[in-house]
Amino acid sequence: MAEQLSFDMILVMIMIAVAVFLFVVEWIRVDVVAILMMVTLPLLGLVTPTQAFIGLSSNAVVSIIAVIIIGAGLDKTAVINRLTTPIVSFAGKSANRIIIFISLTVAFISSFMQNIGAAALVLPAIQRISKSLKIPIERLLMPIGFSAILGGTVTLVGSSPLILLNDLLIPFKLEPFGLFDVTPIGIALVASGIGCFILLGRFILPQGEGAGSVTESLETTAAEAPRVTGEMFELHTPETFTHYREPVTVDLLRRRYLVNVLGLTEPPDYKVLAPASAAVIRSDVDLLVYGRHSEVERLAAELELELKAEPQVFRDDVTESVSGVVEAVVAPRSPLIGKTLKQQDFSRRFGVTPLAIYRESDIYRAEIGDVLLKMGDGLVLQGPLERMQYLSEGRYLLFATPLDVERMHPEKALLAAFWLVLALTMVMGFHIQLSVSLMTGALGMIITRVLTIDEAYQSVDWRTIFLLGGLIPLGIATEKTGTAAWIAHAVLNATGVVPPIVLLTIIALLSTVFTLVISNVGATVLLVPLVVNMALAAHADPRMAALVVGLATSNSFILPTHQVNALYMGPGHYRSVDFMKAGILISIIFIVVTIGMIWLFYGVS
Amino acid sequence: MAIITISRGSFSHGAEVAERVAERLGYQCISREVLLDASERFHIPEMKLVQAIHDSPNILQRFQFGKQAYIAYIQWALAQRVRSGRAVYHGFAGHLLLPRIPHVLRVRILASMEQRVAAKMAQARISEREALAVINKDDEERRKWSKALYGVDPRDSSLYDLMIRLDRLTTNEAVELICLAASSPAFEVTEAARQRMDDLAKACEVKAWLLDQVGDIAVTCEFGNVLIYAKGGDKQAERIRKAISSPREELADLANIEIRTAGPIPDHAL
Repeated sequence: MAEQLSFDMILVMIMIAVAVFLFVVEWIRVDVVAILMMVTLPLLGLVTPTQAFIGLSSNAVVSIIAVIIIGAGLDKTAVINRLTTPIVSFAGKSANRIIIFISLTVAFISSFMQNIGAAALVLPAIQRISKSLKIPIERLLMPIGFSAILGGTVTLVGSSPLILLNDLLIPFKLEPFGLFDVTPIGIALVASGIGCFILLGRFILPQGEGAGSVTESLETTAAEAPRVTGEMFELHTPETFTHYREPVTVDLLRRRYLVNVLGLTEPPDYKVLAPASAAVIRSDVDLLVYGRHSEVERLAAELELELKAEPQVFRDDVTESVSGVVEAVVAPRSPLIGKTLKQQDFSRRFGVTPLAIYRESDIYRAEIGDVLLKMGDGLVLQGPLERMQYLSEGRYLLFATPLDVERMHPEKALLAAFWLVLALTMVMGFHIQLSVSLMTGALGMIITRVLTIDEAYQSVDWRTIFLLGGLIPLGIATEKTGTAAWIAHAVLNATGVVPPIVLLTIIALLSTVFTLVISNVGATVLLVPLVVNMALAAHADPRMAALVVGLATSNSFILPTHQVNALYMGPGHYRSVDFMKAGILISIIFIVVTIGMIWLFYGVS
Repeated sequence: MAIITISRGSFSHGAEVAERVAERLGYQCISREVLLDASERFHIPEMKLVQAIHDSPNILQRFQFGKQAYIAYIQWALAQRVRSGRAVYHGFAGHLLLPRIPHVLRVRILASMEQRVAAKMAQARISEREALAVINKDDEERRKWSKALYGVDPRDSSLYDLMIRLDRLTTNEAVELICLAASSPAFEVTEAARQRMDDLAKACEVKAWLLDQVGDIAVTCEFGNVLIYAKGGDKQAERIRKAISSPREELADLANIEIRTAGPIPDHAL
């Protein structure tokens, strides 16, 4: 029988409530909530100081660090590109085949890399395919993004909750899971997810407008689609342009007509590309501008400029491969997130001109310098490609247009692949602990100079580390004070004893709900001690209960709260309702398949 | 030609000065008409509008947008009235309701407390003490209103181009001074100034129309390009999107309209 409710238990419950509340309202960032827990719990005497920080040295945290470094190494050597290029060409031109092939690839990558990393890696390739084959990007991105999340359930290192699982089982002295113990369930989940989109895609996915792009090239003369941010036009000012008129500046044209001046001629025959905002437009000069056709026409009519049928003076500048208008997406962990372009002094610092920002179904063209950027926001930029490359290398933006990969180390690709295989062999073949094996792989990559130690440090996402490390003591406190056991008994007393498979289904539902409102790691840490106690009390297998939590906390499709969904929302022009439509179906399938596979493979009934 | 706003405390002869300036310059003189226009257009009793622009918001109202809505209606009506210039407005808060318009001459008329008390006593047939209390209360109410909604004290001289004390100057002399100031080239209506006025009117129009449908928002307009700042985040943005998706008279001659959910709201936004 469970203990009486003690003062410590109440304190722990209050702390859980505070954590959940802060996770939901997001007054402070989730990782800061975790650090708050890490500091408050020992101050309240709910855990010892050693226990408070034990999370940072846990297997989970070390494994995550190693997985991130290995992922960065693979990314840098373009192993993934080498993998995706032939797959993409093999997939052909059918949308369904492309979805199947890329989804399988991304699920595979995601099974040993962070989901968001895998999703970010293939995003440019998908945008390219959508553009070249004229398949609406809306039809491609969501299935592939969902596959990246589902792929995280294929191995025990695929997602943070699963990496964390074995550490959470330690206090219960339960046998840890092996790297591939979850694989049958994971594969079934990936397969059913992809199958669902292939069969029902046309009903649950927005079908898009077919262009798949928000920029138009010079040759395009098609009628203006609402999503088009603009095209390039050349204008000429008359001899009398500056007579009886207040000076017309580049900035004025941008503010008044939302038309960007990209080039300006100066008599006798100079050309200024990317003229300053304050530059004055003189008489008898040529302008290269970027804007919507209707607005350029209005500008030309109101200011009496000649609108040329096609660029003449600037023809070479727009067709040359050195400069252009390209689309890019704000990368996960980009230094631009949470800042405005103005705050970053973007144009001056990076030497490119931002023309528009698109987010979900909105396009921002006015005062874009003041827009607070989010991950997944699309930016339309104009400037020299070498500058774009700098933005790409600095992980500021993901570019749909392939940029030069000169500074990467493709020759090290084999080495990188070798260290990954070695790490996996150590886990599978020799049963060496996950963290040790993965760190060996990461170290190997550094020693063989696949990436430098500084690059390795930079690649680590400290938010994830502190989120994991900081929440582990909350799990410890829940268990140590007997709070988990108390709640578990209270719940079971209320519901009565149910068959194990029903209990697991309830746990799967509970985890799904939790993961929609709080982070998947938070949900795992809070729920695992609870469900293990519930399973013990109900005479069900506690390991299976924990596994269901570890899997179902990846069941985050209904709202765009999962990082992968947030990343794909902008480029896919999705609205929240699009995620709900497809997400509800996939979430139900997820639970059915998970429970079904556990029933089938692990004999729980 | 200039737009002149005359603000004053109660019983400071502001109305008299305003009427005579308008007469001298051949301008229209506006005060209560603005409230009547707003009342008619938005079907709000005039009394409510008077309360909105006169009484400072109480604790509860600070968290509602009702008062802001009424002020948006009044601002809309004022912008429509003075759009063509040649106007003297001596209703409430004229100096605040026409922000960033270059050809607005902002005047404040002051009278000594003795003069004001005497005027109140004569008008309401009350004792000196009562009159003083009424005037003090009224001044305090205005100060609180201005502080709560615009963060400024109406006594701050930087809000005005001209402050005239009627202790020793006569109303005639005050009228002379104002007319002289209004003829300054600084208050000429340039193309840019006219554009600002049009933009203000459009921003007011959009804000007044959207407020009761979608809740509290901020609006800016520059060259007909409207930005709507959704203070209530994504959900409110969705409501705004829906509202502006169908063609409306209020949206007719806008060049571009965008909705912002995050990021700084500019100080000059309505």
